[in-house]
Amino acid sequence: MAGNENGPVLQFAAFQSSVDEGFWHGLSSLKLNKLKTDESPISITGFYAPCSNPQVSSHLTLLTESLPTEPSDGLPTETSRGNRNKCSVPGILYNTNTLEGYHSLDKQGLLKAEAKKIWEDIRSGKAEEDSSVLLRFLLISFADLKKFNFYYWFAFPALVLDPPATLVNLRPASQWFTLQEAESVSACCNEWRMSSLTADVPFFLVSISSNSHATIRSLKDFKACQQDGHKILFAFYDPCHLPNNPGWPLRNFLAFISARWNIKKVQFLCYRENHGFADLGLSLIGEALVQPSQAWQDQQHVPNAVGWELNKGKRIPRCINLSTSMDPTRMAVSAADLNLKLMRWRALPSLDLSMLSSTKCLLLGAGTLGCQVARMLMAWGVRKITLVDSGKVAMSNPLRQSLYTLEDCLDGGDFKALAAAKSLRRIFPAVEAEGVVMAIPMPGHPVPSQEEHNVLDDCRSLHDLVESHDAIFLLTDTRESRWLPTLLCSNANKLTITAALGFDSFLVMRHGAGPLTATDESKAEPVSSLSAGVEEMSMTQGDSKMRLGCYFCNDVVAPVDSTANRTLDQQCTVTRPGLAPIASALAVELLVGILHHPLGISAKAEFGNSLDGGNSEQPLGILPHQIRGALSQFSQMILVGHSSNSCTACCPIVVSEYRKRGLDFVLQAINHPTYLEDLTGLTELMKSANSFELDWDNETDNDDDCVEI
Amino acid sequence: MASNQATCDGSLSLIDFQIAANDFAEKWKKFNSAYPEWLWIDCSNRLGFAAHGVIDGYLSLQNVFIRRSLEEERDEGGCNDDEEPFDNATLSTSDDGDQYHFHVVYSPSYRVPVLYFHVQNTDGQPLNLDEIKTNLPTKSAKVLLESKWTFITQQEHPYLNRPWYMLHPCGTSEWMKLLLVGVDNSMATNGTERYMISWFSVVGQVFGLKLPFEMLKSIG
Repeated sequence: MAGNENGPVLQFAAFQSSVDEGFWHGLSSLKLNKLKTDESPISITGFYAPCSNPQVSSHLTLLTESLPTEPSDGLPTETSRGNRNKCSVPGILYNTNTLEGYHSLDKQGLLKAEAKKIWEDIRSGKAEEDSSVLLRFLLISFADLKKFNFYYWFAFPALVLDPPATLVNLRPASQWFTLQEAESVSACCNEWRMSSLTADVPFFLVSISSNSHATIRSLKDFKACQQDGHKILFAFYDPCHLPNNPGWPLRNFLAFISARWNIKKVQFLCYRENHGFADLGLSLIGEALVQPSQAWQDQQHVPNAVGWELNKGKRIPRCINLSTSMDPTRMAVSAADLNLKLMRWRALPSLDLSMLSSTKCLLLGAGTLGCQVARMLMAWGVRKITLVDSGKVAMSNPLRQSLYTLEDCLDGGDFKALAAAKSLRRIFPAVEAEGVVMAIPMPGHPVPSQEEHNVLDDCRSLHDLVESHDAIFLLTDTRESRWLPTLLCSNANKLTITAALGFDSFLVMRHGAGPLTATDESKAEPVSSLSAGVEEMSMTQGDSKMRLGCYFCNDVVAPVDSTANRTLDQQCTVTRPGLAPIASALAVELLVGILHHPLGISAKAEFGNSLDGGNSEQPLGILPHQIRGALSQFSQMILVGHSSNSCTACCPIVVSEYRKRGLDFVLQAINHPTYLEDLTGLTELMKSANSFELDWDNETDNDDDCVEI
Repeated sequence: MASNQATCDGSLSLIDFQIAANDFAEKWKKFNSAYPEWLWIDCSNRLGFAAHGVIDGYLSLQNVFIRRSLEEERDEGGCNDDEEPFDNATLSTSDDGDQYHFHVVYSPSYRVPVLYFHVQNTDGQPLNLDEIKTNLPTKSAKVLLESKWTFITQQEHPYLNRPWYMLHPCGTSEWMKLLLVGVDNSMATNGTERYMISWFSVVGQVFGLKLPFEMLKSIG
């Protein structure tokens, strides 16, 4: 700030930019639709207004309407003309196609080119006609439309005065004017600002006569004003709010005044407002000394220019990221999350959304039940879904299996598991959906020895899949295909939900906890409510009444080949179409209920209107064990079934045998139809029952424990 | 023609909304001139044709600057090539704060005005919900947001087609009903004008935008 005998160097407050998000949206669509790879400079319009707040400067803003509109639009270009809140200022945008291109722009060259335009407008007199050209600005940018990063940098070219202008004095306008003058100046400034013809003209003259009467004149009337002999103030809309510094527009204004009219002592008015009107306390009047430069005599000479905007004090560009409003995937995720949060805020404060989104769900079967369950899970915010199915999409499938379309059936049909996962991703890109093409080994379907290897592999895979997920849905279309998954889930003590369909009836149930503690539970999983109850259950091997039953607990016979000896149209389960969506929805709601229950897998069976477990505290309502529905009656029943010590899938004998012998045990069960019955003592049971000549009813109804809804 | 509906069930018709919005903007300009003005943005032409007699538009308040505490300067590696000659005539300043934009949009399904807002920092980077919440200035904002009457969610702005945040309108008619109880129903025209000012006196608090006493007094 070294001065000379004329005073300190005049320091101008730098202009600040502000870009509205709409500008980048507009530029992106301009680039994608019209410009494509064209890198020619684009004329844009900036807007600013005089400072209107004693604590905050005005910025030069860019809005959606700063970009050129399509000439074919036919819309009036009224918005590019300013109004009192938006003085329009011409600018130029260099938008590059690559980041390298952006970094290698000749910034100094571009700045000089714009400065030259300003200089030429000054010399030619154009600045007198349209003074906003003194505020011409430059913007360089690179729009990364894959990651939605926008790099940009403003320059406000200011012609450098050499030697620099010095400040003689500067004070609030209210202290400079007499009371009469102040009143008159305020009045005519307000009038100037109210008129749509002049409101957006940022540079003007204030001429004050000897009787304190002020008038505002445009720049081109300067010579006439001079002849009047009145006091003349060179006025401009000052965006700056600081009490000791004028704003950036004064720089080029001084250059203009000096070059055009050869004035050395310039009295200027920094016009600022407050509460919508001229504020002469905030506005400043000062006097500057400008020494003409010898070099300016030369017609070819263009003064140097400065003006790259500083970013937090450093000469570096800015970068912003707009993926939250431009990236469709992020927007979909955000909308889904907010939707669930709304549910929580409005109706269900105890909803645990982070738990739902992190629960890994395994769906065995990607048919009518699997597709619906998957969609319902996504609707609840579940984000990790694995589907297992060995089949391909058949032509009749898309009607009932809501993830498939005709396209998936062509060319022999895509694998269901893979098509389902793809479909889930198409619905909601952020889902982590995986499809596994695999058959589930079934007891009663003996395996030829050359297939043994594959079957054992499948068993191993299934074991690993069960271990690596938190909740398993058994959604296949045969009873025996549910045996091995049930065993594996029991062994691993995983949340298991079964849904099964008859022609017009359905069963949805949750399996009880596994019978044994996981002695080798070496996984460092956090102890969640999912397995909290295991410790309680572990010592009750003999007392199976404590455990809720699985799908097989009420069977007296082991699962056999239910598909043999049937006609073709009974092999694929034919059901009333409404059934699968109902059962699937209930299955998912049941899971959400378990996940929110403090006892998780060990939660007791609850009923609708009984004293036992009528939990009004559970905001989601009761947590049943089994729901059986009959579409012919439009009715549902809530039932309970306790675990059976002779269950072929989940009783302690079977599970421990599996733990002891692993896949050998499984293979034996698959190949020998009566093995499981012998093992669990069911064979014995039946013999002794037969000896009493009782009729065994294969259909068991736990009438004692059912409550009709 | 202005209905009493506003005082009966807490909701507002589209026509009444436009009347009330304009009245609100004028009163704001008169009594609350420290802030920028509310402007009515007319969108009747947005479908490419002017449907006869259809009012379409919203109130817009742009560039409300709210300071925040200075944070540590992030050290971003920059390209410092093309060093400009040092210029001792430049005073570099920067205002630290965020720009708030508010739009009042009519919701035809809830039949109430909805406050949409968008906040960006001085770089132009939009703030996300967590950042906005931590910068909310007043305690009453927190209380309001934790009540079941008001919460912030995100919605595609019906005119700009970009996601903006908004105060969800599902509770608005309920609390407006309570707020307008006891209002003199015989002053039919006043019912509509009262509506917007009363409405804003609540929702504005979320951002610390208080209506001056004179403005509240003007509705009686």
